[in-house]
Amino acid sequence: MDNETGKTMKLIIKFIALLTLTSATTTALGHHSAAQFDFRNTVLIAGTVQEVRFANPHLRLILEVTDEARGTRDIEYEGHSRNNMRRQGLMPDMFTVGDQVTIRIAPMRNGDDGGYVTALRTPDGEEIGRVTGAD
Amino acid sequence: MSLKSLAIIRVIAPALFISSAFFSALSMAADLPDFSGAWTTYRGNPGAPGGAFFMGPELKLTEAAEKARQDFISVTEGTNHGAGNSCVGSGMPGSMLGSGGYPMEILQRPEQLFVIYEAHNEIRRIYIGEEADDASNYFPERNGYSSAHWDGDRLIVQTSRLKTQVDSRYPHSNEATIREEYYFDEPLADGTPVLAADLVMTDPLWLEEPLITTKRWQALDNYHVLTYECTEPLWLDEMEGLYEEAGLEMIQE
Repeated sequence: MDNETGKTMKLIIKFIALLTLTSATTTALGHHSAAQFDFRNTVLIAGTVQEVRFANPHLRLILEVTDEARGTRDIEYEGHSRNNMRRQGLMPDMFTVGDQVTIRIAPMRNGDDGGYVTALRTPDGEEIGRVTGAD
Repeated sequence: MSLKSLAIIRVIAPALFISSAFFSALSMAADLPDFSGAWTTYRGNPGAPGGAFFMGPELKLTEAAEKARQDFISVTEGTNHGAGNSCVGSGMPGSMLGSGGYPMEILQRPEQLFVIYEAHNEIRRIYIGEEADDASNYFPERNGYSSAHWDGDRLIVQTSRLKTQVDSRYPHSNEATIREEYYFDEPLADGTPVLAADLVMTDPLWLEEPLITTKRWQALDNYHVLTYECTEPLWLDEMEGLYEEAGLEMIQE
């Protein structure tokens, strides 16, 4: 490369570098009908976790529940999507199979077993989650 | 200047010209609004149009459309059957008008706006300017095909190639087209950016009058939009069945 060619190439390289630098600096729902759940009259339910699916589009939670009226049986509850459960502060490790848990639910309007999980009550009485409707 | 230097410049000049046009396009793009970021339901002024408790306007459906909607309601009302429960996204305009309850994320490049609605991981690719293609080259989809252009600091988006949908809050035929106009609205008092979009959906077959509304979102700072995995449980059920049938223990969670 002779001297003149070298100078020309250097000029071109500087120009390209300048362009590159300039460019670098200037480019700086609802799934569900909620009608079946009574969100105005939530109740507490205590039971043992039999099965849990912390998933989208909805939580599926089966508790073994015992009461005087209907004895001991497994009841399935629904809840928010796992994404929205997380936003409520409700995480999968709070529902481990075999654990005794107390949940707040929006019960079925027709009185059947089941409902929509609105919160989890911890042993010290604190409630995590404030779900006011189905997602 | 020698002949050799002239020859080098002759070869490199076109490349420089192309590069400078490219960088100039980037610079122009840098002057345009950048809608990138995570957005949620606008709560700055409860009750404001397109804000919290946004319900969307009522549709004025044609007789045929109303019949189609009623048929759908008659087979699903009071049940858990629905697109969402089957892990199917809303489709336009529901994906856009419903977003915010679940956040959405926008990634913007000069030639494309990429919108990810968290719910159902719905994705829209909005092609800007010459990047847009002839919509008829693409399959009809629930979110259609979207092309856009800038009008000052507003992004005008046109969507077509929609599918006929009755399983939506906003039923429409496959002849429906949607115009959205995105712009930055007045920020909240604390400076939080507010994004707005005026939407008009026209449908010669199913709508007596166009659907006209405005949707607003407010920016989420340092927020990670979540993945919305929805179909995996269906596969796990299927897999579990296969393992049970074979008398094997399933290890996968």
